[in-house]
Amino acid sequence: MDALVSRYSRPAFQNEGYSKEDQQQALQDVAPPLSLNFALPPVASAASWLRAMTDDHSNPNVPIKIAHGTTTLAFRFKGGIIVATDSRATAGNWIASQTVKKVIEINPMLLGTMAGGAADCQYWLAYLGMQCRLHELRQKRRISVAAASKILANLVYSYKGMGLSMGTMCAGVTPTEGPALYYIDSDGTRLAGNLFCVGSGQTFAYGVLDAEYKYELEDEEALELGRRSILAATHRDAYSGGYINLYHVKESGWVKHGFTDTNPVFWETKLKKGEFSNVTANLD
Amino acid sequence: MSSPFAINGGACVAMVGKDCVAIACDLRLGLQALTVSNDFPKIFPFGSSTYLGLTGLATDVATVSELFRFKVNMYRLREERDIGPQTFANLVSSSLYERRFGPWFVSPVVAGINEKTGKPFICGFDSIGCIDFAKDFIVSGTASDQLFGTCEGLWEPDLEPEDLFETISQALLNAVDRDALSGWGAHVYIIEKDKVTKRLLKGRQD
Amino acid sequence: MEVLLGITGKDYCIIAASKAAMRGATILKASDDKTRSLNKNTLMAYSGEAGDTVNFAEYIQANIQLYSMRNASDLSPYEVSSFVRSELAKALRSRNPYNVNLLLGGFDSIKEKPELYWIDYLASSAKVPYAAHGYAQYYCLSLLDKHHHPDIDFEQGMKILRMCTDELKRRLPIDFKGVVVKVIDKDGVRELEYIDDKQILAP
Repeated sequence: MDALVSRYSRPAFQNEGYSKEDQQQALQDVAPPLSLNFALPPVASAASWLRAMTDDHSNPNVPIKIAHGTTTLAFRFKGGIIVATDSRATAGNWIASQTVKKVIEINPMLLGTMAGGAADCQYWLAYLGMQCRLHELRQKRRISVAAASKILANLVYSYKGMGLSMGTMCAGVTPTEGPALYYIDSDGTRLAGNLFCVGSGQTFAYGVLDAEYKYELEDEEALELGRRSILAATHRDAYSGGYINLYHVKESGWVKHGFTDTNPVFWETKLKKGEFSNVTANLD
Repeated sequence: MSSPFAINGGACVAMVGKDCVAIACDLRLGLQALTVSNDFPKIFPFGSSTYLGLTGLATDVATVSELFRFKVNMYRLREERDIGPQTFANLVSSSLYERRFGPWFVSPVVAGINEKTGKPFICGFDSIGCIDFAKDFIVSGTASDQLFGTCEGLWEPDLEPEDLFETISQALLNAVDRDALSGWGAHVYIIEKDKVTKRLLKGRQD
Repeated sequence: MEVLLGITGKDYCIIAASKAAMRGATILKASDDKTRSLNKNTLMAYSGEAGDTVNFAEYIQANIQLYSMRNASDLSPYEVSSFVRSELAKALRSRNPYNVNLLLGGFDSIKEKPELYWIDYLASSAKVPYAAHGYAQYYCLSLLDKHHHPDIDFEQGMKILRMCTDELKRRLPIDFKGVVVKVIDKDGVRELEYIDDKQILAP
C-alpha cells in the first residue's frame, strides 16, 4: 500500500528542475516514432494495390489521380543557393493548377522543393519543419542541413515500397556547412551536390543550366540563370508551366524573388533577346 | 502506352455566326510530354470557303490532309468548280469509313459557307466517319472537354464576324490553357461569303 | 542511346550523329556513320531499330538517286521530306513497319535557304530550325532554344553544336563515342573533323 501511495503521490514543487534521467525520459515521450501510423487499405498487398490505383502512366483511367509533372532546380554558387520551380500540377493531361507553390518554406533558413506526389511532399516537408523546430528547442541550436535532410531520407526510406512518390531538394546555409544542398527521393537516395534538377522537365533545365553554370556566379547572374532554366523547361515540357517561383538562400536566411507568370517573361525573352526562334510570331 | 489520339496533342474548334463561320486550331506538335514543334497548323483549305480541321495522330493528320487534297483536286477537275462544305463533309465521311477496320486516328472538323445558299455550315466526325451536324459549335482534340466548357459558356447565336473571332479565340485559348498537350499558339480563320480572314494568336508558350 | 542532332544557320545545315553502334550492353563499333546523302544537297541521319535503319535509309537513297538520274535534276529538301514521310507512313500501316527516326538536312538551291526536317517513326514530320532525336531531344532542345538564332554563321553553329555534345557527354549515362559531323550548304555535303577528346563531368 505504501509503495502504491508513494508511486502516485508527489509533494508539490519537489523537483523544480528536471534530472538528467527525467530529461531523457521527457525527450523520448515527446518525440514521436519516426514512422507515424497511417490507415492502410484492407487488402493483401497495400503497396501494389495503391500502385494499381494511382499509376496514371500505365493506365490513364485510374480512379485516383495524383498530381504529377514538375520542374524544380537548385544550385550552389558563391553567393548561396538558388532555388527555382515552375507551378503546374497535372492529373493526366488535365492541368489541375497553374499556381502551386513547389518551394516549401521549412523554416526561415531552410527550403525544400516539391516534385512527384504533391501531397507526399507537402506533408513530409511540413513534418520535417516540425522535427527541425524540435531539434532547435532540444539542442538550443539550429539543425544542420545535413541532419535535416537525413531525417527526411530516413523517414521516406522507412516507407519504401509503400508508394510514396517524392523527389525533393533541401537547401540551406549554416555557419558550419556554408551553402548546403541535398537531393532526397522516395527510393531513399540522399545526395549532397552543387546542382540538381528534379521532375519531368529536369533535362530541359539541365540543358540550359549546365551550359552557363559556374560556382563564381554573381547573385544577379545566378537568379537570371535559375529563372531562364525554368522558363526553358516550361516551354518544352508539357507538364511544367505556370509561374516561376524563385528563391535565393543566404546565410541570413532565404529571400523570395517573386512568383512570376512565364507568359510575359517568355515573350520578352523571345522578342527582346531573339531566343526561342522556333516559335512563330507572325503569319507568313 | 497512351491513346494514339493523345500522343501528339492538339485542339480544333469551329463555330457558326451570322452569315459567317469560324474555325481555329492550336499549333503544337508534341511527342507525349515533349513539345517538338510550335508551328504545326491543323486546318487545311479545300476550295474558296471550305475548311478542314484535323486533330489526333500527327502522321494521320498529314496523310489524311494530303489524301483530301488529292480527292478534292480530282473533284475540281471533273466538276470544274470548287467543292462545297456539305459535299466535302460527305466525302470525308465515306473516306473515313473506308478504313472502318483500321481507322485514321483523327477527329475531323469541317467548316464553310455554302456557295449557293450562302448559309454557314459546320460539322464534326468521329474517326470512322459518323457525321455530327451542329448548329452552334464543334470541338475536337485533346482539349475537347475543356472546349465544350468554354464554348457552352461563350457562344451565342448570330454573332457578327468580329465578335465571332473574339468568341472562338477566347474559347480556344482558355481551353488549351487547361490542357497539357495543346496550345503553343493558334490559327483562326473567319470565313464570310466572299472573304476569309486568317489570324495568328499569340498563346501561352508553356 | 543514339544521338541525332541538326542545326540550321544562315546558309548551312549541320547534322551530327553518334558514332557508337550498340547491341544490348555491347558497343560493336565506335566509328559508325548513321547518315546517308540522298542527293547533292540533302543528307539523312537515322536512328532506331537495328536493321530497319540502314535498310530504310538505303531504300530511300536509291529511290532519290533514281529520280535524279531519270530527271537530271535533284529533288528539293521539301520534296525529299515529303517522299520520305509518305514511304514511312505507308510502311507504318503495313505488316512490317520501319522503326526509324530521321533528321533530314538540306539546302534549297532555289530559295538559297537551309532546311531541316524532323521525322519520327510514326512518320510525323515537321520543318524546324533545329532538332534532335532520342534522349538528345530532352537535353539539347532547351539549350538550342536559348542559344540558336536564325542568322548564325558557321562558327557560331559549330559552337552551339559543341555545347550540345558537351551537355550530352556530361549527362548521358552511356558513352555514345562522339559524333560524326556533316555540313550541307550550297556546295553540297561534306564531312567535318570533330575533335572531341575532352572529358566532361557533371558539376
